[in-house]
Amino acid sequence: MEGIGSKRVRLFVGLWTGFVVIAIYLPILCGALAGLSKGRYFAFPVRIYSTEWWWRTVSSFEIHTLVTNSLLIALIVTVVAVLIAFFGALAFARYPWKGRRLYQKVLLLPIFFPQPVLGLALLLWFNALGITPSWQTAAVAHLVWIVPVVTLVIAIQVYSFDPVLEEAAADLGAGRGFILREITLPILWPGIWSGALFAFLLSWGNFPLSLYTAGADSTVPKWLYSKMVAGYTPMVPALGTMSTLVAATLLLLAGATLMVLRRRRAG
Amino acid sequence: MKLAVVETEIPPDADPKLPLPVLQLVGVRKTFADFAAIERIDLDIFEGEFLTIVGPSGSGKTTLLRMLAGMEAPSEGNITFRGERINNLPANRRPTCLVFQSLALFPHKSVGENIEFPLKVKKIPPAERKQRALELLRMVRLPESYYGKNVMKCSGGEKQRVALARAFAYDPAILLFDEPLSALDYKLKKAMEKELKDLHRESGKTFIYITHSLEEAMVMSDRIGVLRAGKLVQLGTPEDIYARPADRFVSEFVGEVNVVSARRNDGGEWVADDTGKRLRVIVPAALAGSPELALVIRPEFMRFVDKPGGADNTLEGTIYNEYSLGSRIQYQVRVGEKTFLIEMSRGHAWKAAPAATVTIGWDAGDAIVVTP
Repeated sequence: MEGIGSKRVRLFVGLWTGFVVIAIYLPILCGALAGLSKGRYFAFPVRIYSTEWWWRTVSSFEIHTLVTNSLLIALIVTVVAVLIAFFGALAFARYPWKGRRLYQKVLLLPIFFPQPVLGLALLLWFNALGITPSWQTAAVAHLVWIVPVVTLVIAIQVYSFDPVLEEAAADLGAGRGFILREITLPILWPGIWSGALFAFLLSWGNFPLSLYTAGADSTVPKWLYSKMVAGYTPMVPALGTMSTLVAATLLLLAGATLMVLRRRRAG
Repeated sequence: MKLAVVETEIPPDADPKLPLPVLQLVGVRKTFADFAAIERIDLDIFEGEFLTIVGPSGSGKTTLLRMLAGMEAPSEGNITFRGERINNLPANRRPTCLVFQSLALFPHKSVGENIEFPLKVKKIPPAERKQRALELLRMVRLPESYYGKNVMKCSGGEKQRVALARAFAYDPAILLFDEPLSALDYKLKKAMEKELKDLHRESGKTFIYITHSLEEAMVMSDRIGVLRAGKLVQLGTPEDIYARPADRFVSEFVGEVNVVSARRNDGGEWVADDTGKRLRVIVPAALAGSPELALVIRPEFMRFVDKPGGADNTLEGTIYNEYSLGSRIQYQVRVGEKTFLIEMSRGHAWKAAPAATVTIGWDAGDAIVVTP
């Protein structure tokens, strides 16, 4: 038996790790390269690099509209999902009541619905109710799927929160509002932030629900898909890369903020 | 404290030497669904005393404390604070402060912020808060440099002190303690017990402490109440509880004891329940009519008897084992099916060979006679 520290094992682990990282990031890199090549169709290696398609993407009115749609949906979904999920998580992680377990399961079930089916079902509902699908209905559809996810994320934080802390605060004279501000929210912040981040990113990148429920309005993923089907230009990979970069930046910023906060708290 | 304190009128015939009760429980009962956690307790708690409620787990001591703190309302009866009924007064408006078993320190706040919490609630300006926090740090014997320290990085004993300082910052008339020392190691626990008692004397506040350890209670308390299945079975000084336990439960709670069941035979004499051997028993007046009794003999009152008539009551047995308890030696002696404990100080230790046949005994006056 060779130990984990032996040279051959280490070499194998290193190679395998490298392979996995490449397998994950190479397609994204190819997408980025496709958007940076001057030619209309992607060929490898790239013959002439150019930022032309990036500029066209940034200055396109059509793309402005759909980025605005995507952003609006994601922001609304984030705020609403966090609000619903925060109180929902408190209710189901903290208080014992009859039917709690069933409620937990029912609430989390939409996560496992195939999204196209969920999208279709919601579209049928909107039609039945006489609502014309638009980016607003897409936001509602996103919420149906994202609220359970965010509830789960925040609930994990709530489970590790000791309710005795609130009791202690009350015992030291604090009222409900003061306790929420000084104790509950600050301790649950990491969970709320991760929940918000999840909500934003899941909504920003969601395709199946938007495809069914956004009607004539388009979002970034929906546009990427439709342009792949017909009318491809390198603006597709350019926008795709930008979209990925926005998500990655957001994640990095969140990670950095969390690290700074931890450091400060550890002081 | 938003509580309007009403001066209680002292009845003209009241003994002026007796302190006034700061808290009074009258017929207090607490039920959860069908289960009665506390059964009709009447209890006067006096201004400035250190009262400890002792009981095994499930005896209702935490429920009792939570009712005093305002976290549970009694199902029946009344709790009054200096004459005013406070049954439903919420915890944040009571002049009480509870030090939790888990301490409940706020993990996202520094030592200083934890201590200042009740002052922040009262909207006291930051500079004044800090000054008070530093005073309190000194009071609980923590260095001032701890003010900005991460509370989660403090040791167990330091956390205790922070929790204490925070409770004192609230400046309650009554401090309540829910076994706050149970997580500490033995040595630190002993030191903290004494510090707590010193703090009690220095502050002059009323302390109500609950624990499952009578040993802990003995060290600190002015009075001890023993709780069993929601009933207060005895209330008295540590000396009362130790020397004159109200029943077998209390006597066994004090520590390891030998118990001999006795009954009156047809001739009206007391005999051992199992062997039928005659016993010399001094029966207290209150139990005179009782047909059965339990004799509780502490291991230090049990002894080896080397000549006939060396003790009022004797038993034949064999040495089973011996244990060193530090300054004392404990022997286990098998008598029939039962095991008796004998403790002697190390200097007077008896050289015992295992399985040796011995006579052990006790004097009638050393047995505590209780109802079985």
